[in-house]
Amino acid sequence: MENYAICVKDVYKNFNVYLDKSNTIKEKILFLSRNKKEKREVLKGINLKIKQGEAVALIGTNGSGKSTLLKLMTKILYPNSGVIRINGKLTSLLELGAGFHPDFSGRENIYFNASIFGLTKKQIDAKLEDIIEFSELEEYIDNPVRTYSSGMFMRLAFAVAINVNADILLVDEILSVGDEHFQNKCIKKMLELRDKGKTMVFVTHSMDSVRKLCSRAVWLCDGQIRIDGNTNEVINKYVEETK
Amino acid sequence: MIMNVFKNLYDYRELLKTSVKKEVRSKYKNSFLGVLWSFLNPLLQIIVYAIIFSLILKNKQDNYAIFLCAGLIPWTYFSISINKSAFTIIENGNIIKKVYFPREIIPISVVTAETINFLISTLIILGFVIFGGIGISKYILYYPLVLIAQYLVILAISFIISSICVYFRDLQHFIGIILQLLFYATPIVYSQDSIPPEYQWILKYNPMTYIVNAYRNIFYYKTAIDLKSIILLIIIAIGGCVCGYWIFSKLQKGFAEQL
Repeated sequence: MENYAICVKDVYKNFNVYLDKSNTIKEKILFLSRNKKEKREVLKGINLKIKQGEAVALIGTNGSGKSTLLKLMTKILYPNSGVIRINGKLTSLLELGAGFHPDFSGRENIYFNASIFGLTKKQIDAKLEDIIEFSELEEYIDNPVRTYSSGMFMRLAFAVAINVNADILLVDEILSVGDEHFQNKCIKKMLELRDKGKTMVFVTHSMDSVRKLCSRAVWLCDGQIRIDGNTNEVINKYVEETK
Repeated sequence: MIMNVFKNLYDYRELLKTSVKKEVRSKYKNSFLGVLWSFLNPLLQIIVYAIIFSLILKNKQDNYAIFLCAGLIPWTYFSISINKSAFTIIENGNIIKKVYFPREIIPISVVTAETINFLISTLIILGFVIFGGIGISKYILYYPLVLIAQYLVILAISFIISSICVYFRDLQHFIGIILQLLFYATPIVYSQDSIPPEYQWILKYNPMTYIVNAYRNIFYYKTAIDLKSIILLIIIAIGGCVCGYWIFSKLQKGFAEQL
């Protein structure tokens, strides 16, 4: 058991989709009949074991449950049944810049954002230079974040997230950050992290980056695992079928 | 299990610290008078109540303004904390949906930030007793103990309210009304012994009664507090925090879906 970083066992996840959601008690009582909800099964019995140091890509069409699976791993959502076990410190980059405060400077936001990832002040101090350097925002770092362009914003957010010293990194469709130069830099950094033995799980539609980064790919289809195996094999089948 | 809870919080101490700081700072950030409002707000409130109850309703308490202030300021700490707890998870919905962090940080930082505001407001009580001619006694040493009791009471309620409000948004409005009722069910504008015996039970079951009385003993009457009830209150409040935390940790699993 011990050498698995992530162990997903028999996980089911449903969402209740309220067609007409009533949040107040009045509405709940008055419109009992209107409280129609549709149960949508997003994940149906997922079993997945990811070894430490493995880089795995989750691929699949929109709505196949990839992002939900990541959210379950990072404990934003909880499964309806089944168990997810995590071994080690986990950081997720589901959405960049969550918790950024537009009125604070880039530097202050680094502290705030990194603290959300569970870093202490000392750890952030030690990483600060690396983060600023990686983001290439040296001259703007003390300006309020609201003055940043969207590219600068993304760069800063990515720089913080990538420099959090996590054992497991979950990345959701954010490799399209910035210009080509910065994208290459991100991929280089991730390769570096992978070679250091970090575990990584990617959700992406960019098959090129999957090929570059991952040794294993998992194809999710309608909430179930379709194929799990070697990256090239899985991608070839996936591309063929979804053509 | 319990060790895990504390370890998790300790790991995220920086987040707790920055959240508290942000909470305290944001309160006065956009107002011209800034932190001065910490003083002005309760001061104006005391003046209003003092006028109503001593001039219009002819309350015979000596030094009524001081009497009032020793009860009203701890009450404000209580009511603002509870009120804020009702909204805090929903206000932080955006970040809850995107990042994992121990959710209990949110209510804890709200209550802690209000505690800091209360510490600042305590200066008003001190100002009143010093300049009002009552003076300070050694019984002020009881202050931290009473504060701990109050903090734990508020935290226990905050855990429960903040998580339930995500599921029943109506509760937010009820809380305003309940707090108003509770204000009059706590000996703030009157003293406990001015209440007829047949209604004393209401005060007896209200934890804020013991807390307000204790502060009043410390600052107004300059006597020892009812140590037995405060310690009992602390024990009950710790139990309340454990229950509250348990409820919170059950309900927090659905936060991201409800928000």
